[in-house]
Parts: sequence; C-alpha cells; structure tokens
Amino acid sequence: MTAPITLSIKNLTVTYKAARGLVRAVRDVSFDLHRGECIALIGESGSGKTTLGLSLVRLHVRAANIAAGSLIYHPKQGEPYDVLKLSHEHLRRFRWKECAMVFQGAQNAMNPLLTIGTQFLDTASDHDWHNPREVAQRGMELLRLVQLDPKRVWESYPHQLSGGMRQRVLIALGLLLQPQILILDEPTTALDILTQRAIIDVLRDLRKQLDFSMILVSHDLSLAAELADRVATMYAGKLVEMAKVDDAFYRARHPYTLGLVKSVPTISAKIEDLRSIGGSPPDLIQLPPGCKFHPRCTFATERCRQTEPPVEVVDALHEVMCHEWRNVINPVTV
Amino acid sequence: MLIKSYVLRRIIKAVFTIFLITSLVFFIVRLMPGNPVDIYISQLMIEESMSYTQALDQAAALFQLDFNKPVVLQYVEYLGNLLQGNLGQSFRSKGTPAADIIFKYLPWTLFCVGSGLVFSFVIGLLLGMVAGFKRNSPLDIGISSLAALIGAIPNYLIAIMFIVVMGSVLNILPFAKIRGSLSPGVQPEFSLNFVQDVLFHAWVPILIYVLSTVGNWVLLMKSSTTSTLEEDFVTVARARGLKERRILTQYVGRNAMLPLITQLAISIGFVVAGSFAIETLFVYQGVGALLLQSIQARDYPVVQGIVLIITVTVVTANLLVDLLYSRLDPRIRVR
Ligand SMILES: Nc1ncnc2c1ncn2[C@@H]1O[C@H](COP(=O)(O)OP(=O)(O)OP(=O)(O)O)[C@@H](O)[C@H]1O
Ligand code: SF4
Ligand SMILES: [Mg+2]
Repeated sequence: MTAPITLSIKNLTVTYKAARGLVRAVRDVSFDLHRGECIALIGESGSGKTTLGLSLVRLHVRAANIAAGSLIYHPKQGEPYDVLKLSHEHLRRFRWKECAMVFQGAQNAMNPLLTIGTQFLDTASDHDWHNPREVAQRGMELLRLVQLDPKRVWESYPHQLSGGMRQRVLIALGLLLQPQILILDEPTTALDILTQRAIIDVLRDLRKQLDFSMILVSHDLSLAAELADRVATMYAGKLVEMAKVDDAFYRARHPYTLGLVKSVPTISAKIEDLRSIGGSPPDLIQLPPGCKFHPRCTFATERCRQTEPPVEVVDALHEVMCHEWRNVINPVTV
Repeated sequence: MLIKSYVLRRIIKAVFTIFLITSLVFFIVRLMPGNPVDIYISQLMIEESMSYTQALDQAAALFQLDFNKPVVLQYVEYLGNLLQGNLGQSFRSKGTPAADIIFKYLPWTLFCVGSGLVFSFVIGLLLGMVAGFKRNSPLDIGISSLAALIGAIPNYLIAIMFIVVMGSVLNILPFAKIRGSLSPGVQPEFSLNFVQDVLFHAWVPILIYVLSTVGNWVLLMKSSTTSTLEEDFVTVARARGLKERRILTQYVGRNAMLPLITQLAISIGFVVAGSFAIETLFVYQGVGALLLQSIQARDYPVVQGIVLIITVTVVTANLLVDLLYSRLDPRIRVR
C-alpha cells in the first residue's frame, strides 16, 4: 500500500460503564487507513465493531469512555492532528466534513419534520457552504448516483421513503461534503437482497468516481469480499487479524477468521463443509486469561491459556495475533 | 380533495358533539334538586323577611314561567331559540338575555386564564427543555422536583397559601384592594389608568394559574425532550456536524413539542372551565364565578349558556389543534 495515510489509529481502548463493571468493548486497537482504501471490519455480534466506528467520530454514548489511544487524522491540506484532542467546535467541523458515518439500522436517521432537501441544505450550511443552488445541484447528483429519483426524494419527508431508500439517502448525504473517510455500519442489513445488491454496486461505483476511504462494518463477509481492500477481524474488542482481502479469505492465519470464512456458504463449497464456530464470545467484563479465543479454538495449546499473543507479522500487509499462526492453514485451499 | 373532506368530517363531528352535550346539560340542570322559583322564594323569605305568600307573588311576577310545560316542549323551544342565537332570558335578572350576562363576565376569564395559559406553556416549555438537556444535573433536579412539587398542589391551596403568606404573614400585598376585576369607579376605556387597574387586579390570579399549571408543562416537556434526545436522528444530526443551536431548535425542540400540542388543545378548551376556584377566591368577575352563582340560583339559561360556551371552546380548540397539528407534522398531513 503506497497511498498516504488518512487516519492512524493507535492503541484505541474504549470502555462502557455498566452496572456489573467496565465493559471492555475495544481493547488496544491500532491500524492505519490509507487514502482511497476500503477496510472491512468483521466479527461476531458484540465484538466491538460499532463501538470502534463510533469512536472514530467520537459519537459514543455517555456511558462510553475512550480510555486510551490516539486518532491521528491527516487532512488533505495542513498538519495532521489527533481527533481525540479536538475542541468541541473543531470536532463538530471534523464530523461529516472530514469523516462521515452512516449508522447501523438508521431507519430514523433523518428528522421527520424536515424534507430531505432541507436536511441536505442545513448540513451544508453548518459547514459553511452557503450556496443553496450549488448544494441542491450536488445533492441531487448524489441522489441520482445512489439510484434515486432526485427531484421527488429532495422534496420528500423521510416517512415517504422506504427503508432502503432512506439508507441510500443517508449514503448520498454522507458524500455531500466530500469527506475523506466514510464509515458504513452494516449498510445492507435489514434490506432485501435486490436493494442490498443495488447499494453494493452504488458503493463500488462511487468509490471509483469519488476518491474516499471507507471503513465498512459488517458481519456479511460477501459484502466485505466485494468491496474491501483489506479485512480487519475483531474478536472480543481486539483486532486479531488484518490482511488483504484475498489473504483473509484464502490464507487466514487466525483460527477465528478462518472460522468466519468457513461459516459462509459459497456456491463452490459443499454444504457439509460449512461449519459454524462453536461456543460463544467471552464476557467482556470478566475476560478470560490468555488468548480470549482459546475456549473455542481447536488449535489452542497450554501457552494460549496463559498469555495473550502479541501482534505478529506474517508479511508486510498481514498481521495476526495468534501463537499458532504458522500451523493455521485453510483446509479449503490445501 | 381528500383533506377537504377530512376537515368537513371533523366539523360535522364537532357540531354533533356540541349538540349532544348541550342537550344533555339541558336535562341535567333540570334534574338538580330544587327549582329557581323555590330557591328564590326561600331567599326572599330569609333575606327580606317576607311572608311566603308575598314572596310567592313576587317570584311569580319575576319568573313568568310555566314550569308545568312538558320538559320536551321546553327543550324543543330551547333548541329553536338556540338556532337563532338566543340563549334565553336569565331567570334572576329579569329581562336580561343570558348571553348579555355571560359576555359581561367572559372577557375577564379569557384575559386572566388565557394569558396565564400562554405564560405557563412558554415557561414550562423552556424549563422542561433545559431540564431535559441537562438531565440529572443539579439544575435538572432542582427544576424537576420543584415542578413535581407545585404540580401536585391544587390551585386553590396555592392561592390560599399565597394569600396567607403575602397578605397576612409578610403583609406585602393589599388583597382587600386586589379582590375583584376592577377598582370601584374605574370604567373600561382606552386609558393607561384602566390598563393599570386591570393588571393590578389580574396579576395575582394569573400568577396563581401559572404556578398551578406550569409544573405539568415542565414535566411533560422534560420527558418529551428526554425521549427525543434518544432518537437516532439526533445522534445522526450530531454526526453530521450540525450546529448545536440548530439541533436544539429544529431537531430536538420541534419534535419534542409535538406531543404537547394536543395537551395544549385540551388546556385551551378548559380555559373557561379552569377558573372556578381562583375566581371565587379573588372575587374575580369571571365566568367561573358566574357559573357557581348561577348553579346556586338554578338560573338554567345562564348555566346552559356557560356550559355551551365551554363545550364550544373545547371542541373548537381540539378541532383547530388537529388541523394545526397536521401542518406541524408532515407524517399525518395526508389522510
Ligand atoms: N451503551 C452500552 N452500554 C454498555 N455496554 C455496551 C453499550 N453498547 C455496547 N455495549 C457492549 O459493547 C460490546 C461491543 O458492542 P458493539 O455494538 O460495538 O458490537 P458490534 O460488533 O457492533 O455488534 P453488532 O454486530 O451486533 O452490531 C458489546 O458487548 C456490548 O454489549
Ligand atoms: S492464540 Fe491459541 S487460542 Fe488464540 S487463536 Fe491462536 S491458537 Fe487459538
Ligand atoms: Mg454494530
């Protein structure tokens, strides 16, 4: 990856205060997002994907706390800065202008009392873009790009649109200010297969036309396979593997990634090859010692029960957190 | 076209409601024990020490009523008059149309309770929003507990406590002079003197009305604000980097206000009805006080007239708010 870095996440740790204690939702996560790159964040429900995404724009709920780390953002022009150290007003300007986040299942993401057009205009206006005609022109162009009827949608209220249309409106709105980073949290879940298809196509085309980086949060691996350059696997708040999309699917070195890949039905694989990962994720308040995956891992050894594995480098663009990675081989390709 | 017929349907329903309640009241007042003649006679005997026959003569001359006429005929006659805009003659003030009496008292109530309602709603809205935004802060706890406290006290108790503390204990306010709607000798006219006098007499009842109702508005608005703040679109608005002022007004405020609008309709409807206790306590010459007097004297036409007006305001307020609501909330605009 020769493209310059857009966002450098270092040692990010996020906790939730809960009645039983601290929920350690994201633990010591580090990676770089490059310009124009799409990283897919995969992992089971509860592994911390949304929490990580929200932290990047500091929109986590009150109960959450970014306990440690830094988010170094490299703007198109000017010096890099730490998003975690931004003042209120700077953070406001950073959001959506530099980094837009489209939320998970955001069916009520738009104000029900304002038309879609009004909400495009107020977004632009609060980021100092005060030319309504220009905004409308650009907004409608984006709406057309996400395959919506621009005129009709522009004048509609949110309740007049279907769920899939609203999701696409939000994606269009996300690109209005041409941010460098677009975070999409489960953009296709809860949508029918045809709308899913449409959104995937739209996203792929948009990325070709407009140059932005993307963090795609999804447990839908086929979505990741189609859109992503790299795949980041999260387990119990840790980033356990980061690999190019081909490596992740054919040469996964972490047993958990391997398990996820094997649980996806493909046309070529026989149905008896499909296997889900046994067991369930650990309690994030009282984490087990050693590798957090060891109770479910078929490769586990005594060392795995004692010490948490460090990050090891498989090759330049492939990192893994597993003691036994050298023994982990995807049987599908062998 | 669809909307027009919806409005039409609503209006027909409203007229029917008014007719129904008017009819019910007509029969209910006549079911009350005692009739106007008997009450007038016993009053004359006690207050003027007349003999029963004297009193009976005077009463008969005054009322000229045929109480032997079947109630159904009276009812038909009443409805006929009503259709011509005639509420009938007052029993007590001979020769005076009931409407004249009511409209002499009505403006005072409308002014006093109406302005009280406006103040109460606006203050409640603002405080409730602040409490909602600063949830669980000392400010919120202060506002909310105070609101819950005064909201729980009936208005006449607030009034009595106010009179006792300000009048007797601290001796700051001259309640003997504040009583009534106007000072003796002051005439309704466009003059500073008149306006000053109106305010001098009205501000305490208004204040009591505000105190006794503002708590509910605060709590309503707070809970509405709190739940609106949890809506996805508010979080997304933050993610969109919208200015805080816009989020507070256009995103949270407007949405949080919607449920209160219906509540406001009900309160507007009860402007006339919500004033009995306060008006009686402060000898304020409003419709509430008039209604109590008229019930005691069994002055049927006046009672019926007042109830009719209350019904019309309640029904119209609801109708208007319904139509207004559909202007405010696009989701129910098309029906
Ligand atoms: N507001 C909260 N308070 C306490 N704990 C929370 C809160 N939100 C999330 N968590 C916990 O943090 C962990 C990570 O949650 P997160 O929503 O980031 O998972 P996710 O990977 O996005 O899951 P999904 O695929 O279901 O969306 C979970 O264990 C969850 O229980
Ligand atoms: S470290 Fe051990 S337990 Fe953890 S994934 Fe690797 S082999 Fe399995
Ligand atoms: Mg999630």
